[in-house]
Amino acid sequence: MKRVAVVVAIVGGLTALFLFGLLRGAPDRNVPSNLLNRQVPGFDLPVYERYLAEYGPRLDLADHAGRPMVINFWASWCGPCYAEAPHLEAAQRRYGEEVLFIGIQTQERDARAAGRAFIDRFDFTFPNVIDDDSRVSIAYGLFGVPETFFVRADGTLAYKHVGPVDAEVLTERVEALLR
Amino acid sequence: MELSLGTLGSAASALALGLAVYALIAGIAGSVRRDARLQTSARLTAVAVFLATTTAVIVMQAALLTDDFSVKYVAEHSRIDSPIWVKVVTLWAALEGSVLLWAWLLTGYTAVLAVATPNHALRAWALVVMQGVQVFFLGVVALVANPFIVLANPPFDGPGANPLLQNHWMMAVHPVLMYLGFVGLTVPFAFAMAALITRRPGTEWMQLTRRWTLAGWGFLTAAIISGGWWSYEVLGWGGYWAWDPVENVSFMPWLTATAFIHSVQVQERRRMLKSWNVLLIVLTFSLTILGTFLTRSGVVSSVHAFGDGPVGPVFLGFFVLVTLLSLGLVAWRWDQVRDRAELDAAVSREGAFLLVNVLFLALTFMVLIGTLFPLIVEAVNGARVTVGAPFFDVVSLPMWMLVLLLMGIGPLLPWRKAETQTLARNLGWMTGGFALAAGGALIFGLREIYPVLTIGLAGWNLVSLGLLLAGAVVPRARLTGRGLAATTMRYAFEQRRKVGSMVVHLGVIVVALGIAASSGYRTDVQMRLPYGEPVTFNQYELQALAPFSERGAGRVSVGVEVAVFQDGRQVDLLRPHINAFGNNSMTVPTAAVRYTLGHDLYLSVAGAVDPTADSVIIRVIQSPLVTWIWFGAVILALGTVWTLVPARSPGAATVPAGATGRAQA
Amino acid sequence: MSRFYRTGVLAGVAALLLGVALAQDIVLDPRVFEIGNELRCPTCVAESVGESNASIAREMRQIIQEQLDEGRTRAEILAFFQDRYGDWILLSPPRRGVLLLVWLVPIAALLVAAGGLVLMVRRWRAAADAVVPVAGEDLARVRAALAGTEADAPTSDAPAPAPRP
Repeated sequence: MKRVAVVVAIVGGLTALFLFGLLRGAPDRNVPSNLLNRQVPGFDLPVYERYLAEYGPRLDLADHAGRPMVINFWASWCGPCYAEAPHLEAAQRRYGEEVLFIGIQTQERDARAAGRAFIDRFDFTFPNVIDDDSRVSIAYGLFGVPETFFVRADGTLAYKHVGPVDAEVLTERVEALLR
Repeated sequence: MELSLGTLGSAASALALGLAVYALIAGIAGSVRRDARLQTSARLTAVAVFLATTTAVIVMQAALLTDDFSVKYVAEHSRIDSPIWVKVVTLWAALEGSVLLWAWLLTGYTAVLAVATPNHALRAWALVVMQGVQVFFLGVVALVANPFIVLANPPFDGPGANPLLQNHWMMAVHPVLMYLGFVGLTVPFAFAMAALITRRPGTEWMQLTRRWTLAGWGFLTAAIISGGWWSYEVLGWGGYWAWDPVENVSFMPWLTATAFIHSVQVQERRRMLKSWNVLLIVLTFSLTILGTFLTRSGVVSSVHAFGDGPVGPVFLGFFVLVTLLSLGLVAWRWDQVRDRAELDAAVSREGAFLLVNVLFLALTFMVLIGTLFPLIVEAVNGARVTVGAPFFDVVSLPMWMLVLLLMGIGPLLPWRKAETQTLARNLGWMTGGFALAAGGALIFGLREIYPVLTIGLAGWNLVSLGLLLAGAVVPRARLTGRGLAATTMRYAFEQRRKVGSMVVHLGVIVVALGIAASSGYRTDVQMRLPYGEPVTFNQYELQALAPFSERGAGRVSVGVEVAVFQDGRQVDLLRPHINAFGNNSMTVPTAAVRYTLGHDLYLSVAGAVDPTADSVIIRVIQSPLVTWIWFGAVILALGTVWTLVPARSPGAATVPAGATGRAQA
Repeated sequence: MSRFYRTGVLAGVAALLLGVALAQDIVLDPRVFEIGNELRCPTCVAESVGESNASIAREMRQIIQEQLDEGRTRAEILAFFQDRYGDWILLSPPRRGVLLLVWLVPIAALLVAAGGLVLMVRRWRAAADAVVPVAGEDLARVRAALAGTEADAPTSDAPAPAPRP
C-alpha cells in the first residue's frame, strides 16, 4: 500500500508539474526584468536627424532625470514593432507633456536608412536614438524586440513589457507612472 | 467529397485507427477468453493496420513529391524548389509527420510480431499492449494532429522545411534510427506486461525479446551518436552534445535500457533482480513517452523541440496512463516479481550488475532533475533559471568515471563469489594498466583530471579485455592444440554474446577517449583571415583564398575558400559557408571540417562574407580525437550486430570452455 | 532563364550580406568562448553565447573580449551579465536559495542510492547466509543416512559433516 502511495504521489507530482508547464504556455520571452525597482542604466546615444533641433546630436538619459519615461526598443526587421508603433505614437501625443517617450533602435548594425524609413513611416514625434552595437539593449537585459520599459520619475523601473504594446497596456502603465 | 490525396490519406489513417481499435479489442477478448480465433483475428488485423498505415505514408510522400499543396502538411512544410531528398525527409521534419513515421514503424514491428514470431503464451498479451500503444499513435495521426487535412485554398508554394533540417543528409538517418530505437524498446515492455498479466514473471519474457531489446538499444545508441555528429557538422560551434532538454529525454531511456540489458543477465543466471528488470523496462518505456511529450508540447525550451498545441495534453495524458497502468500492474503482481534474492558475496558478477543498475539509475535521475528543474522552480516561485551544460557535466562526470571503472572489473568477476586470489591478480594487472596509461598521460603533459582519469581507465579496461580474452582463449588453445589465432576466431564465432559485448565495451572506451580529449583540449578562437595571406593556427597555416557563392536546389550559399597548409604544403581546401534556404530569412552557417585521426580542424564563418572586404572572420576550432567518437560508435554497432547474429553451430554456444577435451566438429 | 538565375543569386547574396552583417569584426581569444559557454544567449531558444551565431550573442562575445582585455575575471564578467539579465542568463544556476536544490538533490540521490545499495546487499548476504531451519526428524534421517554411508567408506578422522544450510 505504501508503495502504491509513493508511485501515485510521484506520478501525480509530475502530472501537476507538466500541467503547469502546458498551461503557462511557451517559455522564455517573459522573463521578469532584473532591473525592477532599480535605477535603469543610463545611456548617451546619437539621435536621428529629425530630432536634432530639439534634442541635439546625442540624447543623454541623465539630462532628463526627474521625468517619468517610456523607453521602447525596436528594430526595423522586427514585425511586431510595426504593429505597436502607432500605439506608441498615439500615447506620446496624449501623454507627451508629462512623460518622456524614447525609442531606441537596437540589434541591427549600420541600419540608419532602414531606421529612418521606420520612423518616417510612423511619424514618431518622440526622440529616437541608435544603439548600433546593442550595448544598451544588453545593459537593459533585453531578450528580444520589442520590449518597452516604464520608468518612474525617480529613475526606477516600474514595469517591463515584453512583446508589442497596445493601447490598453500603454494607458494602464503610463497612468501608473503618473500617480 | 472529391478524391484528393488529402482525403485518401485521412481515410487511410482513419482506417488504420479503426482496424487497430478492433485488433486491440479482439486481442483483449481473445486473450482473456483464450479464444484462438479471436487471437488470430487480432494478429491478422495487425498486418492490415500496417498496410493501411503504409498507404498513409505512401500518400503523404506522393503529396510531398508532387507538391500537392492542398494537403495541409505539405503546404506548411514543403517547398517546390527543394531537392527531392529534402521532400522525402520532410515527412518527418515536423510534428504531424514525425508521429506518422513513429506510428508506421510501430505498426510494422507489431505486424512482424504478430505473424512472424513463434507462438507463445506471452505473445497474445504482448500484442495487446503493442496494439494499445498503436491505437494511441494512430489516434494522434487520425484525430489530433492530422497532416492530411485538405485546404480549401491551397497556396502556390510553401515555406519549406526548417533550414536546420535541410542542411545535412543526416536528417534522413537520425530520426529514423531514433524511432526504430524507441519502437524497438516497446517490444520488451509489451512482453514484460504480458508476463505480469499471465503470471509468468520468469525469464521467458526477457529471453523471447532479447534480440528485439538489443536491436532497439543498438538503434537508440546509433541515433544518439549520429545526432551528435549531425549537431557537430551543422550547428557551427564544434560541439556534439549540449545537454539540451530534448537530447536529455532521448538519453534517459538509453541509460535505463543499458542498465536493463545488463541486469537481465542476472535474472537469466541467478533468477535475481526480477523486480528491477520489470521496473527498468517500465521506466524505459515511460521515459520514452515522457520524452515525446516534452519534445512536442513546448513545455521546455529546446533547439530541437517542435510543435505545441493540442498534441501536448494528449501526450501528457498517455504518459500518465502508461505509467499508472504499468506500475499498477507491477504492484498487482508484486508477489510474483518480488526478489527472493540471495547474494553470496558483494564482490561478484551479481554485485557488479547491481551496481550498474544503481549507477545508471542515479545518472537518469540526475539528468531528469536537471532537465525539469527550471520548470519546477518556475512552478514553485515563478523565478526563471537555466540549467545547462555546465551543471550536467559537473554532476555526471564522476559517475562516468565510476561506470568506466565498473566496466573493466565487472566482466572479470565470477558469479556468486569472487575468489580472492584470482581477483587480486586481475586487479593487479588492471591497476598496472591504469597506472601505465595515466602515467603516460601525465608524462605527455596532460594535467586536467578527467582526461587523465579517462586515459587511465582506458588502460584499465584494455587490460581487462585482454585478460578476458586470454582467459577464454588460452585454455581452449591448449585443449584443442590449435594456434591462438584460430582459437580466437573460433571463440569469436561461437561465443557471440561474450565477444560481442567485449567489442561493444571496446567501442565505449574509444568513444570515452574521444569525448575526453575533445572536451578537454580543444582550441577555439575567432580570427581574421586576410585574403591571400597565410595565418598561423597551431600546426597549420590558413590562407583565405576568395569568397564564393553558389546556388543549389532551393538554397543559396555564400562562403569562403580556405587553403590549409601544413609543413609548407597544402593539405586541404575547406569551404565554410552560410546557407540560405528558399524565402526563409533564416541562414544556417555550415562548417567545413578536416577530419584526421588525431584531431579535427573545424572552420565556420563568423560574421559577414563581404566580397569587397579584404579579410574574413572565421571561427577556427581544433578538437583532438573527435573522429574517435564516430569510430567508437561504429565499433559499438559492429559489436551489437555480432551479438545479434545467431552462433554458427547451434549447440556449440552452450558448451562451457574446457568441458570436453575433443574439438568440436 | 540564366539571367533570372543570376539575378536571383545576386539578390540572395545581397540578402545574405545584409542579413548576416551584424557582427563586429574583431578577433576573439579562446577564453571568450569558455566564458560564453556559461552564458545563455538571450534571444535564442536554448543555446549558449559560445555556441550561438545570433547577433546579440556575437555582441556579447565582443563585450566579454573587451572586459577580458580590461582585466576582469570570469566571475566578474558572469556577474556583469547576471546583474542585467537575472539568474536566467547563467547556464549553471547560482548556488543560493531554492536553486541550491538542483545541486543538492543529485548528491542526496547518490547518497540515498549508495545507502540503499549497502542495505540491500547486506540483506541479501544475510539471506544467503541464513540458516535454513530443518525439522528435527529430517535431521536425524540425514544423520542416519550419512552414518550408514560412512560405515562403508574408508575411515577418516573427520566427523560426519553437518548438514549444510
